[in-house]
Amino acid sequence: MTTPPSASSGVGPDAGQEVDRRRHVSDYFRLERWEVPAADGGSPSTVFGRAPIDAHQRGAGGGFRTGGLLTSLDSLGGMTSGLAALPQWIVTTSLMATVSELAHVGPLRLRADVLRKGRTSVVTTLEVFDEGADDKQVAAATMTCAVLDANGMSFEFPRPLILAMPELQPDPLAPEEFFCIEPGEGLVTRLRLEDQLRNPWGILHGGAVAMLADEAACRATVAARGGGIGPDGVAATDLVLHYLRPVKVGPVEARCQVLGTRGGRSVVRVAIHDIGADDRMVTMASVTVLAI
Amino acid sequence: MAFGGYPPPEHLLGDLGMEAELTTESSARVRTRVTPQILSPGGGVRAGVLATLVDIVGGALAARVLRPDWMATADLTVQLVGPVLGPCVEARGSVLRRGRTTLVIEALVVGVDEDGNDLMIDGRTPDPVAWASMTFAVLPAQNPASSVQMAAELPMRWAFSGGGLDLPILEALPLTVLDGAAGRVSVPVRPYLHNSFQAIQGGVIALVAEAAGAEALGAAQGGDGSTVVVTDLQIAYLALGKVGPIVTEARVLAPGPDGRAGAVVELRDAGADGRLTTVVNVTAEPAALFSRAAS
Repeated sequence: MTTPPSASSGVGPDAGQEVDRRRHVSDYFRLERWEVPAADGGSPSTVFGRAPIDAHQRGAGGGFRTGGLLTSLDSLGGMTSGLAALPQWIVTTSLMATVSELAHVGPLRLRADVLRKGRTSVVTTLEVFDEGADDKQVAAATMTCAVLDANGMSFEFPRPLILAMPELQPDPLAPEEFFCIEPGEGLVTRLRLEDQLRNPWGILHGGAVAMLADEAACRATVAARGGGIGPDGVAATDLVLHYLRPVKVGPVEARCQVLGTRGGRSVVRVAIHDIGADDRMVTMASVTVLAI
Repeated sequence: MAFGGYPPPEHLLGDLGMEAELTTESSARVRTRVTPQILSPGGGVRAGVLATLVDIVGGALAARVLRPDWMATADLTVQLVGPVLGPCVEARGSVLRRGRTTLVIEALVVGVDEDGNDLMIDGRTPDPVAWASMTFAVLPAQNPASSVQMAAELPMRWAFSGGGLDLPILEALPLTVLDGAAGRVSVPVRPYLHNSFQAIQGGVIALVAEAAGAEALGAAQGGDGSTVVVTDLQIAYLALGKVGPIVTEARVLAPGPDGRAGAVVELRDAGADGRLTTVVNVTAEPAALFSRAAS
């Protein structure tokens, strides 16, 4: 099913909490999501999503910037994996994405399918199609989640679960501003851990980590190349994220090492640390950055 | 050296002539000689061969760190950075996190001399060849007494020795291209390619996915598997391939800047009701672009 059933709104695990949903990470990219149960009634559901590409969310490649796309993939994949794991819940441990096309027309349609549900992990595959460009597939990703003990928490959802598309905000914030990424340049980029960036469990949203890795890797590439970048700047394409530990305190610092550059392609290692938590490493990422 | 009889005398790992060393409790390295048999059409070492090095260094490290427990590889990624400049290539692994159910390892792949020393070119160390990572699922020991025995002293060194490859590595598997445009290739499951579970080895899976992705992406650009170079592999291991043959299919994504393009390759065990064993995101660029950038 590639069109959402008519529904006004859905209920997520954060329902009832004092969160201004207009400023919540899951809603910033205006991703609508809808669950389609498996025909056999026993297998995990497929979950679809659709998101417009608002002007302020376009990157140097002309389309949805990769950090934003990964935020949407993290949200969709998390919902899919979480539903598959009920009554337990999940936390993302790795996200591997390849973004082949950077000049999207939009809207983008996303699809998530569970590949394997085990006792301790759920593996989900994600696909992204550009509906405005003949439905071309423009990205693919694989997400792995660890299954957690719910610790007495219960998750009540109307099934199938449907989350409506949030309204476009007037005067929307640019991604760097929304994600509290401090202005700067060079090999180190810092993010302030504001409450709107926390997920319902109080830790930094995985999508915010992806956006930080994207921005930090692009800044590091510009610095390392000494200005020898493309006319339209640089953009992240392939990303690998290993979420090692939850980010609880902040501020969060992304420390980059440009491993090398060939032609217009650079590979950047990004080590992300929670400074307020004894500076422990919380995420290891590798980002491919292209000069556009 | 073999762990519990693995690998057997006739094995791909032996023919690659890998030398390994556990340097500390949380670091290890594995190297092999660069030969024409393991090069890609662009002139660099195949991403799948680099993945095999990473798989071995990660496996050795995980076996050490997790003992007496054992592990299964959950995912493996490789991103090519630059060409190999030395006579040998070495994967250097280190532990990022050891959790209750998973172990995450990072590896840098570098060019080295015959003794494993860093190269110096024009007074500086060249860029690494690749960055890689692995996640292992921890398998609690059923019988700790039967776990792999490892010497307590470090560093610990061993080598996989064999007769060497006298064919290009894909022919040695052997890999058969069934339908290049669809990314359909086939490889048998046989002891030469086994891992310690008697299933197809993780590095071999990377090689098969690399070949399938290259065939599909090359065909999509009017060429074949020899006209592109795979630069990125993102591998999710879902199930063991124990029966065979392993067959693949690829779905090509929209092409990006400079002819870079991606594909999703699925590997299935045809002898086990077509069970899905692995999903791999593959990125490649035209061989001409890779060669030009590397020169």
